[in-house]
Amino acid sequence: MVLPASVMARLAWRNLWRNYRRTLIMLLAITVGVWAMIFMTALLRGMVDDMVNQGIGALPGHVQVHALAYRDDPSINHSLPAPQKALLDVLNSDQVSAWSSRVKVPTMISSEYENRGVVLLGVDPEGELALGFDASDIIEGRFLSGPDDRGIVIGRKLMQRLETRLGKRVVVMSQSPANTIADRGFRIVGVFRAELEGREEGIVYAGRDVVQAMLGVATSVSEIAVLGHDYRSPEVLASSVRRVVATDVDVSSWRELDPYLSSMTWVMDGFVLVWMVVIFLTLSFGLVNTLMMAVFERVREIGLMRALGMRPAAIVYEVLVESMILLTLGLLAGDLLAISTLIPLEEGIDVSKLSQGLEMMGASSMLYPLLQWQDLLLANTVVIGLGLVAALLPALRAAQYRPVEALRKT
Amino acid sequence: MKFSTPKVFVSGFQATFKLRAIFLTVICATGLSLFPAQFATAEIFNASELVRAVMEHWRGINSYSEMTMTIHRADWQRSISMRVWSEGDKLSLVRVIAPKKDTGNGTLLKDNEMWTYSPKINRIIKIPSSMMRRAWLGSDFSNKEISKSTEILNQYVHSLIGQTQKDGHTIYTIEAIPHEDAAIVWGKEILIIRDDFVLLEEQYWDQDNKLVKVMQARDIVEMGGRAVARVLRMGKLESPQEWTEMTVSSIQFDLELPSGIFTLSNLRNPRQ
Repeated sequence: MVLPASVMARLAWRNLWRNYRRTLIMLLAITVGVWAMIFMTALLRGMVDDMVNQGIGALPGHVQVHALAYRDDPSINHSLPAPQKALLDVLNSDQVSAWSSRVKVPTMISSEYENRGVVLLGVDPEGELALGFDASDIIEGRFLSGPDDRGIVIGRKLMQRLETRLGKRVVVMSQSPANTIADRGFRIVGVFRAELEGREEGIVYAGRDVVQAMLGVATSVSEIAVLGHDYRSPEVLASSVRRVVATDVDVSSWRELDPYLSSMTWVMDGFVLVWMVVIFLTLSFGLVNTLMMAVFERVREIGLMRALGMRPAAIVYEVLVESMILLTLGLLAGDLLAISTLIPLEEGIDVSKLSQGLEMMGASSMLYPLLQWQDLLLANTVVIGLGLVAALLPALRAAQYRPVEALRKT
Repeated sequence: MKFSTPKVFVSGFQATFKLRAIFLTVICATGLSLFPAQFATAEIFNASELVRAVMEHWRGINSYSEMTMTIHRADWQRSISMRVWSEGDKLSLVRVIAPKKDTGNGTLLKDNEMWTYSPKINRIIKIPSSMMRRAWLGSDFSNKEISKSTEILNQYVHSLIGQTQKDGHTIYTIEAIPHEDAAIVWGKEILIIRDDFVLLEEQYWDQDNKLVKVMQARDIVEMGGRAVARVLRMGKLESPQEWTEMTVSSIQFDLELPSGIFTLSNLRNPRQ
């Protein structure tokens, strides 16, 4: 006897609501489980996204152009000419949202009392702001006013270490391409803060023209930082830049420049899947148990159906439809619950109490949950897919009853 | 009045302005000079022009000296003896002769560049900019302070801020304020000079007008035909237990220095 699907569905549906309390509890469990999967994933995604954005802001850019040897030896000897012609066309095209060329060399900075090794960035402040330097991070004074600004902007922590302050002069000492000492005094015109202390201590900003004059490199720069529109696909941008530069120029995406950050995103993808499966495993015990009970309660009924000519496969089919309905309802409720709880949190969650710990990981003190449709799909697939696998156990059990014995069971 | 012997002037001031190259700093001399007397006698005293004239005169004057550097700390002290050759305001060569374990270490200065040689590793190392702020031979002088040559002339604005009488000498106080872009961390430096052009003191002030470091001369004697400060002490006010003293035991001026003395090959393989 082969029953049509509609009859099977009806049978399953009625069976579900025979013991509505059990079904509701199971539905609740699935709903909460699905909610936890999606919600927590969104939080994690938000955290990673924030780390990546911060990392890209620190690099900065999705793609950077350097002289071939610069990344191994960041000295001024390995510099590039300022962008021209074809490169300039690409940089000013639609696929680039911002770019800036910078001089970036290791230097010693000294006050009357202390010396520190820092990275000196000779920047065009306008480009730097476009690339992601946040003007509100300037806590004292101002940011540079132009590439010819003769002042210097240092981090708060560095200022403390040097025992100096806004308005005082510091000396920056570096090496010119001719291997002689290039040094200069700068007045501190601004002090910045950063989420990461290392930046406050290790980076100083000065006007690009001034730094080029100090080092005696005319218009050469150390790197060109390019910001595209989406950090997830830097390779497209990188390859279009690569097409227009000389062969002795290195064009790398942020994934190559910051492999740690890049691997964090891969790890996070794996982690999300593991997280979902773990939640599902706990859920599945409930699911298997529920269906198992439903089968035990109906042993005589199953025996009768078998005696009337129903195939064991149809019994399996029926139990699976039952669990399918249960899972689908739970998923719908869970998805809706997750989405409705995430929407009010779009403004960000203040986690500043944990900020020190988070800072070590490179995350900031505001958490912005990020719901990706891929994660939603993954959660639903995991629940349906593994749910049906889990339901197979009670279904097979039900199909194995011998009709005569089942009928006689009390 | 001592000003009537303008000869004194040049070398005396020279010592002041060559301060950073301490080997020359020690030399406060009586000496040959064509320096015009009116600078000395004029009521208004143009410190910058004076400095420039003096620097120009120094070119070509050479010296050879032997000195001992004593580095003092709260719980230890060590002395290093060395030979120093210098020519003009840009070239100097230092070779350590004692203690034994440091013997043969050398430093060559050419303008603002600096090389060291150590026989133990048989290598000449060019001091990179990152090491310029490190101590020179463990003393209170940094490599940078040792290697500066004409900075005091062209990186500062000089002015006479005081003039007093003491023991029959006029003592001049010159204030030197670095230019805005100069690679000098100090807010100002104050030079105290006796009218026979012996540098008595150089003070380093921070940008909040607090005195940080002082270099003082003592024991002014005649050596090699010029007045020389025999002992020169550099110390920080913050830590009075820590200082470095340079003591000159002998000095000669205007000798026939062999050519090629201020070269890297001579730094490695001494020929004198």
